Amino acid sequence: MFNQIRSSVWACGVVSVFLLVPSVAVAQSDGYRAPRTAEGTPDLNGIWQAINTAHWDIEPHGASQGTTRELGALNAMPGGLGVVEGDVIPYRPEALEQRNDNFANRVARDPTIKCYLPGVPRATYMPYPFQIIQSADHIMILHEFAGAVRTVYMQDHVPAPAPSWMGWSNGRWDGDTLVIETEGFNGMTWFDRSGNFHSDGLRVVERISARSPETLNYEVTIEDPEIFTRSWTMHMPLYRRVETNAELMEFRCVEFVEDLMYGHLRKQPD
Amino acid sequence: MANRIAGGWECRFSLIAVMVLSLAGTSVIGQEPGTDDYTVPRTADGDPDLQGFWSNQTYIPLERPDGVESAFYTDEEVAALEQGRAQGEAAQTTPGTIPDVHYDFTQFGLDRSQADFARNRRTSLIVDPPTGRLPPTNAEGQQRARNREAAREGIGRWDSAEANQLDDRCLIMRGAGPPMMNAGYNSNYQIVQNRDYVMILVEMIHDARIIPLDGREHPAASTRQWMGVPRGRWDGETLVVETTNFNGKNPFNGSSDQMRVIERFTRTGDDAITYTFTVEDSGTWDAPWTAEMLMTSTRGPLFEHGCHEGNYGLYNTLVGARLEERQAAEAASRQQQQR
Amino acid sequence: MRTIVVLAITSIVAFGGGGDLTAHHAFSAEFDIEKPLTVEGTLVKWDMINPHSWFHIEVTEEDGTVVPWQIEGGSPNELIRNGVTQNTVEIGTVLTIEGYRAKDGTEKAVGRNFVLADGSRLFLGGSGQRTGGGQ
Repeated sequence: MFNQIRSSVWACGVVSVFLLVPSVAVAQSDGYRAPRTAEGTPDLNGIWQAINTAHWDIEPHGASQGTTRELGALNAMPGGLGVVEGDVIPYRPEALEQRNDNFANRVARDPTIKCYLPGVPRATYMPYPFQIIQSADHIMILHEFAGAVRTVYMQDHVPAPAPSWMGWSNGRWDGDTLVIETEGFNGMTWFDRSGNFHSDGLRVVERISARSPETLNYEVTIEDPEIFTRSWTMHMPLYRRVETNAELMEFRCVEFVEDLMYGHLRKQPD
Repeated sequence: MANRIAGGWECRFSLIAVMVLSLAGTSVIGQEPGTDDYTVPRTADGDPDLQGFWSNQTYIPLERPDGVESAFYTDEEVAALEQGRAQGEAAQTTPGTIPDVHYDFTQFGLDRSQADFARNRRTSLIVDPPTGRLPPTNAEGQQRARNREAAREGIGRWDSAEANQLDDRCLIMRGAGPPMMNAGYNSNYQIVQNRDYVMILVEMIHDARIIPLDGREHPAASTRQWMGVPRGRWDGETLVVETTNFNGKNPFNGSSDQMRVIERFTRTGDDAITYTFTVEDSGTWDAPWTAEMLMTSTRGPLFEHGCHEGNYGLYNTLVGARLEERQAAEAASRQQQQR
Repeated sequence: MRTIVVLAITSIVAFGGGGDLTAHHAFSAEFDIEKPLTVEGTLVKWDMINPHSWFHIEVTEEDGTVVPWQIEGGSPNELIRNGVTQNTVEIGTVLTIEGYRAKDGTEKAVGRNFVLADGSRLFLGGSGQRTGGGQ
């Protein structure tokens, strides 16, 4: 009997372990250990990019009609299995109405259409590369889209002095994981092109770790009690841009949106 | 004259303090160019450490002023110059004049005299040619300037967003460079580096220059960018950055898209970087020219300069211009009707 | 020496880096030099944004109506470097603002001078009382 109990306890333990492991969308490589920088921290330097449809819609979605007839198939939304853990964003009821209203009016309201800074974490998974440059006191996350810049302060953490589009990021190492806590958002950014949104009370916690020489694990937790009934999490891998001499290009998109934003104020011929 | 801010504030920026500081030179780091008995700190990778927050603010113009012969001011002359400017900046503008239609730089700490700047005794930033002045613009450069003027013929600055200046449009500040000239205010840079890259963040407009150090070549000539494409390498203690592939849309004193800028950054003290730049542009000048600026350490942060995102001014100006036109047209048609 | 200093100052105004002169020019196109004003109101919000910050104040008219005004100020970045945060100027602070009204006809102005209830200037000092100005 003792053996039966022991084996059932063991089985129970095994089952418990399986239940405790979160159903991550990313298969965890067996303990890959990133090389170290000269400072002795995990080396996450490089040019990275997400490959998924989170920038269209972070929730699972089938393919659907675009907004702009002339762009045909290129503007239609492709399907995606979503990056939100649990699939559904836990909106408060009135916030869900707002999200749906955002979606219906997304061409007018999506801030990135006007080349506004995309915020966090949207900047991470927009279909443009970004670059991590690590040094002892600061980690820079530099985005090609609109030249968006995030300074991650690794020392001397202070609160955000004022709200901003990309937030104020304080970072630390938790073992091999870079943990970035970002607050001080202005509430004017979205999570994707489908109107998923937040307030200026948003707090984002990112956990970034090396998964393999060419991939990162990216896990981001969203806290915003005004909008959501609980905190929620997104997962995705990030892929290294491995081509020789990979480089961020300038995407200074302001000049491409001036007619859109100010064309109606143009002086008309007499 | 205490400055009242809830939460308490030290009196550091009262006018009297500003003037005292200017006279004493303590807002200014006494930095002579060319000090070379300094051991540059190293990063963990063993490279010269240029990291930190830096200001290149200065009172010194690019070109030597008319009537000034010498390459250097005396200490007394430059102190008088700085004091005079500080006084001018702190003085109130006259109501009903154009300069008065503006927020007060002093109140927001944006005067040049309130910035960190290294005392520079040079009479011009240009050190070569020895005249301290740009070489003459050649025929090709003059033709380009004529073409630019012709293209603007009949276009008013407030006719459209595109007719405005680049900085009003929040596209790029004229002096963002390279070469990186001092801005009127917020003339600050954040340098972060590692073994493979040096990043220079220009405060306005959050421009991150990402400079690879691995010896890769510049891209094809068809790849052109506002700030060009930089390539860096260490030359002893000096970071050398060569930038080409400019799109020519933000000319530097009339430069063409063929401009090649060679910058050198050398740390000469804990709080000092000497920044020189040589500009080669056979489309504009028949000879290269070189300038030298002094950077001094300043405090962070470089707060997000989301210019385009907050550009209500451009919108308001265009709305106002169209309204004034309508009002003028209505007034004119009323006059017509009265005849 | 005096001559050199005078020349240098003149030249620096002409050649100096940065957009001081043109910034003035753009502002005088956005705001009306013919419409100087003084408004007094309570601060609802200070948007610490770039390129220029905006003070949102509520002005109570004589008949009791409360009119929201937006007043344009300077970039907050240097103030932030000196410890000013979004909590520094408290909501409800009474501000008297001398400036010029927007050309677009709305309740907008550029704030030439921000004065607190005790007569001191908000943030950093100047050379004392303004001359002239007025409604």
